[in-house]
Amino acid sequence: MRESQVLEGKAIVFGDDINTDQIIQGRYLQLLDYAEMAQHTFEVVMPDFVQVVEEGDIIVAGRNFGGGSSREEAPMVLKTNGISCVLAESFARIFYRNAFNVGIPAIVVKGISNQVKELERLQVNLLEGIVTPLGSGKRLVGERIPQKMLEILRAGGAVEWYKSLYR
Amino acid sequence: MPYTIAEKIIAAHTHEKNVSPGDIVDVSVDFIMVHEVLGSRIVSILEEMGFKKVWDPEKVLVVNDHWAPAPDTESAQIHVRNRQFVRAQDIKHFCDVDGGICHQVLAEKGLARPGMLIVGSDSHSTTYGAFNAFSTGLAATDSAMILATGEIWLKVPEAIRIDIEGQLPTRVMSKDIILKIITDLGSDGANYKSMEFFGSLIDNLSVGSRMTMCNMTVEAGAKCGIMPMSSAVKDWLEKNAAGREYSPVSPDKDAEYSGSLSYDLTDDPVEPMVALPHSPVNSKPVSEIGDVEIDQAFIGSCTNGRLEDLEITAQILKGKRIHKDVRLIITPASRRTYIEAMRNGTIEILMDAGAIVTNSTCGACIGGHLGVLGPSEVCVSSTNRNFQGRMGHPTSRVFLASPATVAASAITGIITDPREV
Repeated sequence: MRESQVLEGKAIVFGDDINTDQIIQGRYLQLLDYAEMAQHTFEVVMPDFVQVVEEGDIIVAGRNFGGGSSREEAPMVLKTNGISCVLAESFARIFYRNAFNVGIPAIVVKGISNQVKELERLQVNLLEGIVTPLGSGKRLVGERIPQKMLEILRAGGAVEWYKSLYR
Repeated sequence: MPYTIAEKIIAAHTHEKNVSPGDIVDVSVDFIMVHEVLGSRIVSILEEMGFKKVWDPEKVLVVNDHWAPAPDTESAQIHVRNRQFVRAQDIKHFCDVDGGICHQVLAEKGLARPGMLIVGSDSHSTTYGAFNAFSTGLAATDSAMILATGEIWLKVPEAIRIDIEGQLPTRVMSKDIILKIITDLGSDGANYKSMEFFGSLIDNLSVGSRMTMCNMTVEAGAKCGIMPMSSAVKDWLEKNAAGREYSPVSPDKDAEYSGSLSYDLTDDPVEPMVALPHSPVNSKPVSEIGDVEIDQAFIGSCTNGRLEDLEITAQILKGKRIHKDVRLIITPASRRTYIEAMRNGTIEILMDAGAIVTNSTCGACIGGHLGVLGPSEVCVSSTNRNFQGRMGHPTSRVFLASPATVAASAITGIITDPREV
């Protein structure tokens, strides 16, 4: 992640309580190839997700995104599909950790779920947590990414962060 | 400063002088459990990290349980990798496909004890709180860090205090209580928090029933669920962890809680509860759900596949036959559970009533194998999650309940109050 980076991409919008089973079902977890697994992303809740998604897109969701199973495959299939960032009213704790560990920023933005239209283009200032839906031009203020998570993100994910600490 | 149980255990595992909720601290980990995620993800992450040796091979349990024995070549390959890792790293505790479900096996091996800080590569690792331990689930990369260093960063959680007085009414189980509690809290009501249980009900519960409750705290988002030491836990440790040290942890009197719940079953008994599709926090008393016809009844999983669960099922099914349009699948939580149930006659009663008894595996609970649901099928299940498509086809529907309610429903073919059969 570059400090001043402002991400831009179209929003794919979900509701509350999207759990990790809905992001990627348990039955696909034994697939070792992420590209193959990623074909099944959001299969139950949004069957055409893999047709709609493009590199750089942003997930927008309601409360408690990523609850349930601890599977890191959930943020990994999002990353494999080109998702650049996840914005939600709140995150389940393990998903939040996992997202940063694999190098995807997750930002808490209260009130975002009814401020963004499906497929609307968004600009996200990662460091400041500011989200601008380009359709309305509103300015949504999210929570700043905590220092620990910024460190991991700047390193490029937890593996690189670990290497920087222990080598 | 006064501490909750979680704060006290974290404070004992960090170099920080004091800990308070919200602090991010580095902790030393007493024990880690990893299952198939080792072979599928962790091994390659460790390679990327340039890892050579596990920090302490005596403090690791590796389990092949999610797809056991392997139903396909992908799972078989993951199992092979796990066995190779166990040999190469000289891992002391290993449970292959014949042993059972990780959380049950770890408990049976006496590896969860009061005061410990335990991490598992599985969200239901909250289960070990039944043994007065701090335990939480993380995923592949964090597990890799722990395997390499024995350390991890954690955010110190706020705590919710839950007091429960009274006794379980006949054929009401701890599953019914925890379904009610997480429904009262909501799916993120305990997000990032420690759920700490107290009261006469908790003090008198069996170890298995305690494990069921701590297991499901994660369905309300909790980081951990912890209970104080009890005489049942003491007996369990004498039998399964003889000679190993432990130190029980109680909260300080002035410990601060961010919230509290309290239940008195003497004045206000809990009814058998059923969680409707597609959320575990969507539960209602069984009397309020109307007639729900079922195709499959399932008893098993890390939540409710223990000996006491099989025994109450046998008590309800004894001398009866299950409904002709229902298949009843029973998956004991471990090999030891299976053998004990076989020796005391439980398995025979279940089979005579028409049940299919499978080997121990996570199997049906994760829609993996040995009980996958077809289009529009309905299952009443003693497991922990009824997310859409969790146990099979996206149009299938899962209702979560206690083993007693599942057993009663298998007889009638509709979801039934176990006190009515």
